Amino acid sequence: MANNLIAELSQHLNARHLYPTAAWLQSFVSTTRPNTPLPALKQTALFRLLATDITTSLSPPPSTVFPSDVLNANIQSRHVAGPILCQVLDIEDIGLSRWSQVESIEAKERGEATKGREIVRVVEQENDYENGSGAVAAAIQSKGPFKLLLQDAKGAKVYALDLRGIEGISTGMTMGVKLVLRNVDVRRAVVMLEPGQVQLLGGKMEALDKAWKEGRKERLMNAAKAVG
Amino acid sequence: MARILCVAEKPSIAKAVANHLGGQARAENVRGNQYTKNYKFDYNFQRWGQCSVTFTSVAGHIQQLDFHERYRKWNSCHPSELFEAPTTIHIADDKKAIASNIESQAGYASILFIWTDCDREGEHIGSEIRDIARKANPNMQVWRARFSNIERAHIIQAARNPVQLDDAQANAVAARIELDLRLGAAFTRLQTLHLQNMIPQRGEDQRKVISYGSCQFPTLGFVVDRYLRVRNFIPEPFWYIRLVHEKDDINVKFSWRRGHVFDRMAVIIIYERCLLAKLARVTKMSKKPTKKWKPLPLTTVELQKMGSTFLRMSSQDVMTAAEALYTKGWISYPRTETDQFDRGMDLRRIIERQQQDNHWGAFAQSLMNGGFNQPRNGRNNDKAHPPIHPVNYVVPTQLNDKERRVYEFVVRRFLACCSEDAVGEATDVELDYGGEMFHAHGLTVLARNYLDVYPYDRWESSQNLPQYTVGETFEPTEATMHDGKTTAPGYLTEPELIALMDVNGIGTDATMAEHIQKIQDREYVMGRPKGGAAAGHGGNGGDRGGGRGRGRGRGGRGGRGGAAAQNGAAAGGVQEFIPTTLGIALIEGYDNVGFETSLSKPFLRKEMEVQMKAICEGRRTRHDVVQQNLEQYRAVFIRTLQQINVLKAVSSVGESVVDEVANMAQAIRKYVVEANHG
Repeated sequence: MANNLIAELSQHLNARHLYPTAAWLQSFVSTTRPNTPLPALKQTALFRLLATDITTSLSPPPSTVFPSDVLNANIQSRHVAGPILCQVLDIEDIGLSRWSQVESIEAKERGEATKGREIVRVVEQENDYENGSGAVAAAIQSKGPFKLLLQDAKGAKVYALDLRGIEGISTGMTMGVKLVLRNVDVRRAVVMLEPGQVQLLGGKMEALDKAWKEGRKERLMNAAKAVG
Repeated sequence: MARILCVAEKPSIAKAVANHLGGQARAENVRGNQYTKNYKFDYNFQRWGQCSVTFTSVAGHIQQLDFHERYRKWNSCHPSELFEAPTTIHIADDKKAIASNIESQAGYASILFIWTDCDREGEHIGSEIRDIARKANPNMQVWRARFSNIERAHIIQAARNPVQLDDAQANAVAARIELDLRLGAAFTRLQTLHLQNMIPQRGEDQRKVISYGSCQFPTLGFVVDRYLRVRNFIPEPFWYIRLVHEKDDINVKFSWRRGHVFDRMAVIIIYERCLLAKLARVTKMSKKPTKKWKPLPLTTVELQKMGSTFLRMSSQDVMTAAEALYTKGWISYPRTETDQFDRGMDLRRIIERQQQDNHWGAFAQSLMNGGFNQPRNGRNNDKAHPPIHPVNYVVPTQLNDKERRVYEFVVRRFLACCSEDAVGEATDVELDYGGEMFHAHGLTVLARNYLDVYPYDRWESSQNLPQYTVGETFEPTEATMHDGKTTAPGYLTEPELIALMDVNGIGTDATMAEHIQKIQDREYVMGRPKGGAAAGHGGNGGDRGGGRGRGRGRGGRGGRGGAAAQNGAAAGGVQEFIPTTLGIALIEGYDNVGFETSLSKPFLRKEMEVQMKAICEGRRTRHDVVQQNLEQYRAVFIRTLQQINVLKAVSSVGESVVDEVANMAQAIRKYVVEANHG
């Protein structure tokens, strides 16, 4: 029975380019209640898997990770078919100076925002850390371009550029979100993200996301001081 | 024959109106006040027939709201009691002669006809006059003249069509006066009592007052905010790509749609991709007619902003000059929010009078000969006054230098409004080069129209662009990558400050200049010519020493017209403001006390201003508004009191934080040295 269930779940997850380790599947199944309907189990498995660190929870076939020499910057341009599954470890807005981002974070901390030259009070809505309402607000503010740090299931870390503006990619997004990349162009070891080539699966890495959000202002300040 | 008493807001208006109505009216002196005169003449008001008229004036507000005797001394009570301490209204000491003149004249007359300026303050001053007159003569009929300039025909029209005083507006002012008194006194005493000892004193008897005003502090807050932004700023490098293409012997420069990007690696990758693409492809080529819109009719805020930008005058000086021009009948009332001319207004008649000028006369003539166009309509209408416009022509040599500049600006602006938009042709070319967009923009001015009379706007033809066609490809002559650095914003300039106050609802158009002057007089900020040398702030006397501890938001209106502050700093270019040590310390202190709505922020005051409007429109009562605001500010007061040490901490470190700054050395010297001897 359990094996049957594992097969069902594997199939469901693999269809989404997620190849969990046997250990992960086992431990997931062991936490489920026997008479939960299968569709619900599938959903739960997907949700839980997307919340993991893929470098430990997945054992991917070679085609779903970056080529081993992806970081070779001597290669001017190469085509990578994928589909590659990766998670987002960092994102920077490179269309705005770091200091201006610090200023707007500080204005937000004071509960202010500017509308043109008018200073308006913003009442922070409770909750919604979870549902990424922050992402919506940030997306309105900046169109990037954005520079991301991606990691595949083997642990390779690669920079990526979003130059065109892809829905869901902004400095308000959740760290640890899982992406599927198809047919991307990799230039000088940097993945060029294009709208049709990126699929956002969702998910997050709780601890990373929390630390990232809390440390963002300080990172920006330090980075500004370092280059300035 | 009925006897009628007319009262204007200031002597100059009384004189001007009396002369319009009565020819050479006979002037009698008023005992105890050398400026006020009673003009006597006969006049036939349509409504009341032939009347014997006495036309006199006040000088701004006559009455004064103050705390009951017992609360007036600095240490007479805890400052928090001032939120509900009983108040009394009495005639101001320096207005007693004026009041008794009205009283005695009212005794002879059966009709009171009020000619105060038509705005909120004027309405309130009118109600004070009514109170005084009715005390002497309870049966008096009371009427009010509605006018917005001192031109003869307009004045006669106003004399024929008296209206009622608007008590709602008077009530709004009364609410503001009470709030200014209570809040000003409570916070001024609180601050002064706790912080005074930390600021160098000039001797036992001359203790420094640290005054608070609910408009002053947010105004100061804007200056400090910007100052700190400038001080904290960190420059950062950025990179960008530029293309040049030579076609038909023209070097066309294309700029990157992205502007610039703050990551070198990203720009290099993009740049390489562009170079590899070799060919750029034209994706858009458009030539279309374009316009530069003529300016909107002139409001007070706009006059102040433009004045401090183009006329090398402080906003306060601009207003003083405008006030003088209004009083003499050359321009319309200079305090207005309206930026639309009434359709029925005969603008041609105004233009006609300007035809004789040597500089803009020819332009006015061309408008009269068919060039006239109805001005654009803005979105504001205060329903009291038209936009600021010239009324009569005056030979510029009859005016002093400042008045002449303001008059010329008002006239040119008005003629520009009645002219036509400037017309041109815009050419836009857009390229796709390696997936990146680049563009070039060209402008050919075809007809300057209003620009001919309005040198304050600039719109000039750029380089001609050659013909491109969509789909055309070419190899750029040059594609280069460049770098640059972000630069700090400048200190807050006067036009910027006015704009901030305007959108954030601090003060009214009529009082902004006063608040800006106030925070300079209080030595919370210093003004200096932009980008300029050390502050050359002239010697306006320090604070009035001990006093009674009332920092009123905007005092009375006595200072209007006549004795406007003389500010030595303004000459030469736009003013920028730098806060003094004390100014920074106060704002940081309040911010650190950590109210959600610090007194340095505009929110509380903005709300108050909105409520004043609500009183005017009859939606709220005066009592309601006063109580609600007192409650809100009381909460802030209590929090400040509890955390007064936070405020103190900042005030004492304030000096060491800032005195490293070269520009501030002067400020500190002013504080530590000059203030002690002033």
